[in-house]
Amino acid sequence: MPQRGQISWFEIVLFTSCVIWVAFGFAPALQDVVVLSFLFAGLALAWNIAGGCAGLISFGHAAFFGIGAYTSTILFQSHGITPWLGIFAGAAAAAIGGAVLSLICARLKGPFFILSSLAFAEVVRIIALNWSSVTGGAEGLSIPPVPDVANMVLGSKPAYEALTLIYLILAYAIMRWLEASRFGFYLFAVRDNDDAAAAAGINPLMVRSSAMALSAALTGVGGTLFAQYFLYLDPTYVISPELSFQFALLPAVGGLGTAIGPILGSFLITPLSELLRANLGNAAAGLHLVIYSAGLIVVMLYFPSGIAGALEKLKSRKPRP
Amino acid sequence: MSALLEVQGVSRTFGATRAVDNVSFAVQPGELLGLIGPNGAGKSTLFNLIAGVMPPSGGKIVVDGADVTGWKSYDMARAGVARTFQIPKPYRQLSVIENVMISAFLRERSMAGARDLADVTLSDLGLAPYRDRPASELTVGLLKRLEVARALAMRPKLVLFDEIMAGLTPTEVGAMTEIVAGLPAKGITVIWVEHVLYAIMKTATRMVVINRGSVIAQGAPAEVARDPAVVKAYLGEEMQLA
Repeated sequence: MPQRGQISWFEIVLFTSCVIWVAFGFAPALQDVVVLSFLFAGLALAWNIAGGCAGLISFGHAAFFGIGAYTSTILFQSHGITPWLGIFAGAAAAAIGGAVLSLICARLKGPFFILSSLAFAEVVRIIALNWSSVTGGAEGLSIPPVPDVANMVLGSKPAYEALTLIYLILAYAIMRWLEASRFGFYLFAVRDNDDAAAAAGINPLMVRSSAMALSAALTGVGGTLFAQYFLYLDPTYVISPELSFQFALLPAVGGLGTAIGPILGSFLITPLSELLRANLGNAAAGLHLVIYSAGLIVVMLYFPSGIAGALEKLKSRKPRP
Repeated sequence: MSALLEVQGVSRTFGATRAVDNVSFAVQPGELLGLIGPNGAGKSTLFNLIAGVMPPSGGKIVVDGADVTGWKSYDMARAGVARTFQIPKPYRQLSVIENVMISAFLRERSMAGARDLADVTLSDLGLAPYRDRPASELTVGLLKRLEVARALAMRPKLVLFDEIMAGLTPTEVGAMTEIVAGLPAKGITVIWVEHVLYAIMKTATRMVVINRGSVIAQGAPAEVARDPAVVKAYLGEEMQLA
């Protein structure tokens, strides 16, 4: 088995190429796609802490994304607090949301947990939709597009590439730390066997709630970055089930419970979906979704343990020294 | 000498069924207590009550002088009571050493410390050659040994073994018996539920026999085996003891 917590050469090369790409401002036409790929890789890593490591498959992470985005944006608009601080408030609010969700659903496992996480996000979405005095309701909130680094409105796409890349690397570092820490081992334990974990002196509920809180906090950070990039947010997108599915899908495609899997998943799927939408969206309505879904089915059929799992298999096929 | 474990009039009902009915016994430090009984006697329920899987409906459980009635599994583990599972419950996606490290964290909070303790435990149990294998690849015999390794890596005062011999080959039974027999000398008290009677009869210092939820006999293994009530409980069959 691979040594946990270790960074491979492949990953060092991958991150270095990302940094070079951003530093030299390559391919201006693709900068939108790159920002989203970085952002969603970070979000996929965040989801993976709960779903991949602790076995809490959640279809409700858009709630935490939305809580993060709304918290920082509302703090900025009505109290003038810079999103550089609001991002922490958003993370904290999302963490509380995550802890609440896992405490409510403490006894639920497998499909029942999945369904209740979905319901939780719907409740959050409906609250955001109807509490218009604070959230702007269906009209959403917009942030004035006045570039000002102090307010995290960066004005240039490479700057956003850098910001989202930092987020991605932060999420990756947290994942690598988890893999090589006692707390991370506890997550794996409750995922693989609750009873055995409890018999080893681990309180499964505490571990699950902490995992969910950490995952939610990191997702909330992604929410703030998203809001600061698009400068607009409404409940219909930021707290949508589609977004929740996307968070779960990327690690599933890339490799659940691994550090590199969610990144590979996002680097493959995000550009695919964005480019298909951009190029085919007008040609035939829905065609991009058909191709996108067909691609997903192929990946799921042939790489059930994700891209990371397939790479691992390739490596172990080589004779060992 | 004060008892390490006292089970005082413990009962457990499931609906109208009394699975465990007013059971009392005590275990002294250093004992290797065999807990036997026919199928459905209430062994597993009693075991789960002591391990904190479920609370008793009545009675009291005392460990080291502290009332632990109603404590959860993880509280019992922290109090020094380890257990194995009859049907092995490994962390399937983790390697053998990682499985044992999770138990070792109870005593060794650092990664390196837990790894060292796990390594020592693995070699004690002859699992060292499988150290880096995923637990999902182990055979039943090895999984049973992994269960024991995980329990012992917690450095418990009291360990509860639940049928650790079932499914093992005679050679494996011999090796496991030796390991278990050596535990009291290491300061670990053992309660051992077992179906493979010849192994337990040889090793246990004392036996408690339960049937239909109640204790029907206790004493030295040879004594208990001659007890008419015990023979009757096992449907009159003559026990072949090694």
